[in-house]
Amino acid sequence: MELQLGLALPPPPLIPIETFDLNSYGNYETREALGTNALSWPLLKLGPADNDINNIHHHNSSSSSSSSGGGAGCKKRSFDEAPFFDEKRNVPKTLHLLLWTNQPNDEDDDPSNVLHENSSSAIFKNDGEGLVGWPPVKTWRKKVHHQIPNGGTENNRLPAVENGIGGRASKSTYVKVKMEGVPIARKIDLSVHHSFEGLTNTLMRMFGISDGNRKSFKLTYQDREGDWLLAEDVPWRTFIRSLKCLKLIRSRG
Amino acid sequence: MLKKMAFSFPDEVLEHVFSFIQSDKDRNAVSMVCKSWYEIERWCRRKVFVGNCYAVSPRMVIRRFPEFRSIELKGKPHFADFNLVPDGWGGYVFPWIAEMAGAYPWLEEIRLKRMVVTDESLELIAKSFKNFKVLVLSSCEGFSTDGLAAIAASCKNLKELDLRDCEVDDLSAHWLSHFPETYTSLVSLNISCLGSDEASFSALERLVRRCTNLKTLRLNRAVPLDKIANILRHAPQLVEFGTGTYTADVRPDVYSDLAGVFSSCKELKSLSGFWDVIPDYLPAIYPVCSKLTSLNLSYATIQSPDLIKLVSHCPNLQRLLVLDYIEDSGLEVLASSCKDLQELRVFPSDPFGAEPNVSLTEQGLVAVSLGCPKLQSVLYFCRRMSNEALVTIARSRPNFTRFRLCIIEPKTADYLTLEPLDVGFGAIVQYCKDLRRLSLSGLLTDRVFEYIGTYAKKLEMLSVAFAGDSDLGLHHVLSGCESLRKLEIRDCPFGDKALLANAAKLETMRSLWMSSCAVSFAACKLLGQKMPRLNVEVIDERGPPDSRPENCPVDKLYIYRSIAGPRFDMPPFVWTMDEDSGLRLS
Repeated sequence: MELQLGLALPPPPLIPIETFDLNSYGNYETREALGTNALSWPLLKLGPADNDINNIHHHNSSSSSSSSGGGAGCKKRSFDEAPFFDEKRNVPKTLHLLLWTNQPNDEDDDPSNVLHENSSSAIFKNDGEGLVGWPPVKTWRKKVHHQIPNGGTENNRLPAVENGIGGRASKSTYVKVKMEGVPIARKIDLSVHHSFEGLTNTLMRMFGISDGNRKSFKLTYQDREGDWLLAEDVPWRTFIRSLKCLKLIRSRG
Repeated sequence: MLKKMAFSFPDEVLEHVFSFIQSDKDRNAVSMVCKSWYEIERWCRRKVFVGNCYAVSPRMVIRRFPEFRSIELKGKPHFADFNLVPDGWGGYVFPWIAEMAGAYPWLEEIRLKRMVVTDESLELIAKSFKNFKVLVLSSCEGFSTDGLAAIAASCKNLKELDLRDCEVDDLSAHWLSHFPETYTSLVSLNISCLGSDEASFSALERLVRRCTNLKTLRLNRAVPLDKIANILRHAPQLVEFGTGTYTADVRPDVYSDLAGVFSSCKELKSLSGFWDVIPDYLPAIYPVCSKLTSLNLSYATIQSPDLIKLVSHCPNLQRLLVLDYIEDSGLEVLASSCKDLQELRVFPSDPFGAEPNVSLTEQGLVAVSLGCPKLQSVLYFCRRMSNEALVTIARSRPNFTRFRLCIIEPKTADYLTLEPLDVGFGAIVQYCKDLRRLSLSGLLTDRVFEYIGTYAKKLEMLSVAFAGDSDLGLHHVLSGCESLRKLEIRDCPFGDKALLANAAKLETMRSLWMSSCAVSFAACKLLGQKMPRLNVEVIDERGPPDSRPENCPVDKLYIYRSIAGPRFDMPPFVWTMDEDSGLRLS
């Protein structure tokens, strides 16, 4: 729909099959390049014979090699079926920005190494608050659950982050947390905390600070006026109401 | 001979024929047949759907469809629901309202999803469209009850006001009194998202009383139980009803009032709300249960035995939303009682607890899949899964069109074999040939993506988190899933190669979201430069991407096709990659 809106003239004719040069189309090339290496994983067998899911057979051995879609010609689209495929796509002529190779990870910067620097993608075990947006439950559902008397924790009444008894507060309950010396900020869901103790525990875990080192850190926060204050100087309710973001600093002396 | 006849149809005849074609897809196909059909179709299209508000500009829409009456717009990417899209990213509806206000005094319906709607926009709607009938705001934010007051006051022909899942600044409940006493055309009202400590019950009651065509009424938590009876008494014709909040103590007079009033609602098919409900009040709704087709208990914190009792009274249930308090035992009862069940959503009562707090496992989902022949849509949160269960589910229920499974702990393996869940999800895509939407979870390698690329030919939307080993995974999906429109990925080791090798694919999709993956800034720039019909947005709250080395991964990436070019309403933490310098700051 979106693409057709700009048309003042009738749409360009679909690329006729004869002029469609499959070899210049990156996707097809990549399929071919995949070959048998990547498709060495056995695919599922269909049908009632497959009772035992642990007993999965190679399709490679039984496939014909006429299909240019690679060695495991089970359900791969062969190029003879191209017309079906063409109808859906207005294929641009130039497009592979990169030629696919069999070894996606042969470069120096191994993606998994790079990921470690990007700590927002690191997964902390049993530290749900450290992961933004996981599990994928909408904000107001999270708050409902924490008001549950049955399954809830110590204090079931939410802090002042909630607005009245409505379904949803008008502000998100996530605030940014930075630690002195760490470039990347994290986010923490305040609605699941009810005391400085709980909040501090979570923060220590999030930043990997051991119990012994706890004492050398202080929790500060920035209030609505932009001033930085020590968290423990104010009561919890005041803290929750006025804070904008948090910072863990190393305490001196 | 036949050809001649086709060209000699007068336009009015064709227009009449086209008027029977409502679906967007079909309309688009019709407009592609020939120049004259394109022209006729565009003049008689009455409903416009824009899946991404940035894919096209309001002016372009208005130019092509000069006489539409109804528009549906979607803004933010789906992951915005889970706080992954920072505040201020965009999705403002005001420019659309402004353009339409000038061009279309006769606009009747506006439906918005995940957009920022201001009071100013609402006031402009109220002022500009004299025959305005339908306002549906789904997961929207940015407005207050003042804006609603403007709508209430001016839209004399308003039939539908639906604020599902919105974030509204609750300044005053008195906005309801802005509906004039002469106003009676309300058919559907959904205010379940509103807060308001003080609710204007009398205004609400009067409104319900005089709007005799009211079919849907979804109240918010502020309306207590005793008021519900008063309201329902005046609206026995209701088809869909959402309760307010229940009181903590059971009062016999309130109970019998409620039971009486529910028995008089002979048309009731859908119930929701149930905040703070206590089991003793539930029997009050038993009289309507046998006719119920839709039940939303996802806010009801009642336990399995009470849920079982309730559900066994509802043999005609087609849609059930419930918390995992229902447990496997409850789902087994559901499977045997509700043979018409089509959609099931089971939400976690304690999403952040490390240990399970209820006995809900994969067995519940297996039971429902085996027992409910019409089941086609599932959203299921649980803490363990096995390939065996998934294969059983897939084979017994090949009619799934939507399958969303969330195993709460990321990268959880098959609890029986400790293997990845590749084979299980592979079975889902292999057997469920009409699968349109899939959400993955658990321990998954590149193999699951190979299955998906091979089998999921009708798949339109895929959500992936904490899965895969390498670019090969992403490559399988982009090269294999022919019908793919929306792909959203978080925390997967997918990098530049798969994206660049499948660049053309992105133009055939509505959008791609990737956050906490391994796509470098250099790759984003390249994509932006080479693909002029894609908007490549880098979202990074750490600071400008060019302040880091080019091979550094970007935090979040949102790519969508557009004929409107790059947008100009971006906040400071969003950069669009385009042909010029590869970097454009807002």
